Amino acid sequence: MNSLETFLVWSTMSFEIVLCGFVFARKVQRILPLFAIYTCVVLTCAIVVWLTYVHFGFTSLTAYYVYWGSILFSAVARSLAIAELCRSGLRAYRGIWALVWRVLMVLSILLLARAASDAWGQPNRVAIYGTTLDRDLALASIVILAVLLLIRNYYGLALEPLQRAIAVGICFICAVDVIGNVILRNIYTGSLFSWFLTSQKSLWPALRPQIMRVNDIWSTVHLLSFMFSIGIWCFALRKPLPAPSESPVLLPSNVYREMSPAINLRLATFNDRLVELLKP
Amino acid sequence: MNDLSIVMLLAIVLCGVVLWLLIPKRKASRADASSLHSDLNEALPTARHYAYFRQIRQALSAADSEYLVHNAPPHVAQQALRERRAVARRFLKGLHEDFSNLARLGRIIAALSPEVSHKQETERFILGLKFQILYALVWLRLSTGNLPLEQLEHLTGLVGRLAMRLDTAMTEISALSAGRLPGSLGA
Repeated sequence: MNSLETFLVWSTMSFEIVLCGFVFARKVQRILPLFAIYTCVVLTCAIVVWLTYVHFGFTSLTAYYVYWGSILFSAVARSLAIAELCRSGLRAYRGIWALVWRVLMVLSILLLARAASDAWGQPNRVAIYGTTLDRDLALASIVILAVLLLIRNYYGLALEPLQRAIAVGICFICAVDVIGNVILRNIYTGSLFSWFLTSQKSLWPALRPQIMRVNDIWSTVHLLSFMFSIGIWCFALRKPLPAPSESPVLLPSNVYREMSPAINLRLATFNDRLVELLKP
Repeated sequence: MNDLSIVMLLAIVLCGVVLWLLIPKRKASRADASSLHSDLNEALPTARHYAYFRQIRQALSAADSEYLVHNAPPHVAQQALRERRAVARRFLKGLHEDFSNLARLGRIIAALSPEVSHKQETERFILGLKFQILYALVWLRLSTGNLPLEQLEHLTGLVGRLAMRLDTAMTEISALSAGRLPGSLGA
């Protein structure tokens, strides 16, 4: 590891420790337990990866597997935090939540199936597999967040400030991950593909500096973006959290049963009249 | 454009959409039966554009147009017709606002209901999309002078009836929820 990488790893770990401190000081685990777990997972992964580097060496095969394992483990924890973000705040609106969770579930299954099938077709190398899966999971996360926010916006339900900050941070990390993984995967499967082929072992010494350089650049971008997101979350948690808002008072169910068809009927008539207007 | 560019572009666009949706908006707020009252006040004067229809109709009447074409100098007549089209477009925009308020009310009722029909919600969502497309087409035809101004009367009549019907219905809702809401609202 060069001095920049060492500095970045230590900085990220410091940021993660501060974030975990804020999360538990503000008792975030009571309202968003999966996000609290996610922050712990990223800190644990960072410590484990660091210890692996120390014990087995930065360029060892063990470090390589542990690094990619930690990336995927963090991606899974992040997905769970997003699922929690979807659930929190909407579950109080029972009717809408019953509708929304099905939509999000179907969408998630489709996106995960796509990610799995995409990764399945890749050459059997951890790095290529990992970048493909991480890219697709990050893209799926942004899509799910976008759909969730569109639905909330449609029904006029704003996110609480903390949830909003979490969504911004996750969205930023995912966007950087998608772009970074797309570029990285393109390089791995393109000019540096020989690095992953045992039949091309003779080329490895020549390719080594290039591989190291690519990994260095990606690590730097990834860690900087991650620190930026942690900064957003820490900023949102700098003050004590407001008391959780009370559950909304819902209307009797017959109101919807009577009003909704009437409104839709009228809206349909309105559209019919617009169609008539457009007839020559 | 290769896969690399498409995925990167998609990620950037989606990220932009998410960030745009996360910007707090004035109207986006926590829906609650207690907020229904203020939304009701905002949405119920749905006929505020419709209320001016009589004056608008007079200003846009075919007789007036004919009179202008035959009696005013050509450049004055052209100018007047252009302005009338602009007035009609503004009026159409107002009707769009009325329609949006009523549709929003429908969504608030859905958000505050313990049970929601996915069929009804999908239908309303599609109706909203269809309305946006049709509105754009009507606006375009109106701007290009291909739509007779008198036909707007049908539209406004419909919005007016819709507003009156919802007015009655929402009064009933207020009465129904009066017992469940905080004092200031129930009163």
